[in-house]
Amino acid sequence: MIETCDLRRTFGGVTALDGVSLRVDAGERRAIIGPNGAGKTTLFNILTGELEPTSGAVLLGGDDVTRRPPYELARRGLARMYQRNELFETLSAEDNVLLALGAARGPYRPLGSPTAAERASAWEILESVGLGARESAPARSLSHGERRQLELALALAQRPRVLLLDEPTAGMSPGETARITELIAGLERSLTIVIVEHDMDVVFRLADRISVLHEGRVLAEGTPDAVRGDRVVNEVYLGKVVA
Amino acid sequence: MNRFALAALTVAAAAVLITFPLWSSGWESSRYATTILRDMLVLAILALSLDLLVGSAGLPSLGHAAFFGAGAYGAAIVAQRLGNDDLLLGLGAAVGASALLALVIGLFAVRAAGIFFLMLTLAFAQMVFAVAFQAVDLTGGSNGLAGVHRPQLLGLDFNGPDALFELVASLFVLVVLILWRVRSSTYGRALVGLRENERRMRALGYDTTRLKLSAFVVAGALAGIGGALSGWSLRFVSTNDVGIPRSIEAFVSVLIGGTGSLLGPAIGAVVVLYVERVLPSSIPFAETVLGLMFIVFVALARQGIVGLGRAAYRRVRA
Amino acid sequence: MVQQALNGISFGALLFILAAGLSLIFGMMDVVNLAHGGFYMLGAYVALTVVQRTGQFWLGLLLAPLLVGALGLAIEPLLLRRLRGRHLDQVLLTIGISLVIGDLIGLVAGREIRSLPFPAGLDHSVPIMGGDYPVYRLFVIAFGIALAVLFAFVHRRSRIGALIRAGVDDAPMLAALGVDIDRLFATTFGVGAALAAVAGVIAAPVFGVFPGMDVDALIYSLIVVVVGGLGTLSGAIAGGALVGPADTFGKVLFPQFALALIFAIVAFVLLLRPTGLLGRVRIAR
Repeated sequence: MIETCDLRRTFGGVTALDGVSLRVDAGERRAIIGPNGAGKTTLFNILTGELEPTSGAVLLGGDDVTRRPPYELARRGLARMYQRNELFETLSAEDNVLLALGAARGPYRPLGSPTAAERASAWEILESVGLGARESAPARSLSHGERRQLELALALAQRPRVLLLDEPTAGMSPGETARITELIAGLERSLTIVIVEHDMDVVFRLADRISVLHEGRVLAEGTPDAVRGDRVVNEVYLGKVVA
Repeated sequence: MNRFALAALTVAAAAVLITFPLWSSGWESSRYATTILRDMLVLAILALSLDLLVGSAGLPSLGHAAFFGAGAYGAAIVAQRLGNDDLLLGLGAAVGASALLALVIGLFAVRAAGIFFLMLTLAFAQMVFAVAFQAVDLTGGSNGLAGVHRPQLLGLDFNGPDALFELVASLFVLVVLILWRVRSSTYGRALVGLRENERRMRALGYDTTRLKLSAFVVAGALAGIGGALSGWSLRFVSTNDVGIPRSIEAFVSVLIGGTGSLLGPAIGAVVVLYVERVLPSSIPFAETVLGLMFIVFVALARQGIVGLGRAAYRRVRA
Repeated sequence: MVQQALNGISFGALLFILAAGLSLIFGMMDVVNLAHGGFYMLGAYVALTVVQRTGQFWLGLLLAPLLVGALGLAIEPLLLRRLRGRHLDQVLLTIGISLVIGDLIGLVAGREIRSLPFPAGLDHSVPIMGGDYPVYRLFVIAFGIALAVLFAFVHRRSRIGALIRAGVDDAPMLAALGVDIDRLFATTFGVGAALAAVAGVIAAPVFGVFPGMDVDALIYSLIVVVVGGLGTLSGAIAGGALVGPADTFGKVLFPQFALALIFAIVAFVLLLRPTGLLGRVRIAR
């Protein structure tokens, strides 16, 4: 479903990605783990089109989408949950989701207003992430956990084929983490999910397969059990992997 | 307030405004008041169109008068060349010229963001000014185009000051209605999204460059209407209608009145024109006053008069 | 032909002097000082007054930047400092300042076009390659080069230069390291204003002194820094070197399209390298 071919990216003298080839099948839940600086965010930025690779290709649904702008990737069914929330701060949660919903039909409806159906959809989505009661609250007044929920809601509102989750549980309390993890676990099986995470409990709960990224390369890849037992991974992480 | 009451209030306000010359005819300085109010409405149209960029889309344009001038020149030149004073023709020419210019300039300008966008709009406005200055055969250069005919529509002519005022006021109301509709529509919401978080908009699937360009063109077209009205009001079009001072005048109006609302730019235009036209009869340093007011608002009351009003209202209610 | 080339170079030198202050303030403080034209104009009018009273051009060249620089030094703490971090609002503030300066000058000095006479000693022409060329314009070139050398020296070698380089890179870091940012910014703004004033004085004998000269100067300095690169000294030099001759030759060869040429260059540079030819990437909100 989403695939990278020998992706490389250098910044000046620094090599962030050094030949990353991944293949995530449709409906698969893939976790990408690795120490800080391993290149995970760079990888995500390239997948979403916000960054261009120095070389290599990105394929989405079989089509070559390398160097395509972000909005085109979004229209092809790619949605992203950012690590640092990218919300419409002064707008209400409902308005946030409405904007996400409106992207599909396009904004050039100068005489149109959000329909009752759209508002209902927005409410449904907010409900599904647990924000049903907070739909009129401005985004900036929400708690950190709620903001992450809204961030997820925006991605889901795009009705994507592929969902990229960039550290979804970053900065969350255990309760919030559990809630969001269950939310993600409960998403449709047809949805392809790629998740970058540091919290290993979340990774093992959600992932079908894990790719370990280290210094811009894929160090190991396989089922959670296989990765957990992999000697090289253990060495690299030095005990960060739950043995 | 329910929708019916709001609509009725709006219609009543519009009627009061448009018929101003009639019910103020008994005043001592009625003629003067009509002229000043007319010019305030023209500046208000320019300011309101600019606020679509500044307030809604978050694009701080300092070159908006280029489209105002394009509209003014467009209406005047077409009427002159074709020897036809029809109102619809004039408006069409104005909107056509200004929208086209906005498209051309916009294609370059929207590729820049923030400060660079601001500087580009300044530079382009000056370029338009220079073209208007140099194309003497077309625009009259620094002398401008004098003797601009006021338009007529189906035999109804707008030559007299009262009739012209009613035309200006009616088009003002029209522009306000258009902007009100646009701002509350899906399109307007998308513009606000653009202002709030462009990165997220792109990630959601919006072509933000095209969105910015469309806002630029719409705002330019509306400014063009103001330009046409200016030419008809003064019976004169000159490079004063295009350059940077006029652009800054519009921006100052938007900021002092308050961005992001329909009332703000209109109030700002009233205040600015008052300082520029009425005050100088008492004091000689009106521009200085305006500059100082602008500084004070930017530093202390960034939300403008409307913002101050809202804050006061909230405090009273609490 | 040689004459035009020299004209182009001298105009380029003038543009460099003009743009340097704008670039400096932006590089350090992330503020596009739209009152730059106002300071330029103020410098010219101060020099005009000095020359009218004393007949001394050089005194004017000395006093104008001092006075205007002092004004800039006062404005930063009074007005700009309270808006620190709000870059767009600071830029808007400078618009207000330019309005006030422009109007006050008009009120005090009147609105006619005036000119500053060439200083004695530089008011003649010398034969160059077949034609006579005004010495003053050669002086402008020399002055521009001297200023560039002075800047380069200060920039590279002195402590102030190190502060400037660091500040351009990362001002908050400098503050964290204990440098008095307030004083640094105020000084930068003052120096930037003074430079604008110097440009105003130098340009006055050639271009005259009149209301509206602030807008012209501002536009040109914006063009120069946009093309050459905002925030760097070499950007101001590059911009001046490119725009000066382009404008001069443009006006001579195809006067109708000279302006279009300049803006074509601007558009071209912006499309290819949005930060200018030698500029630094900045995130300005």
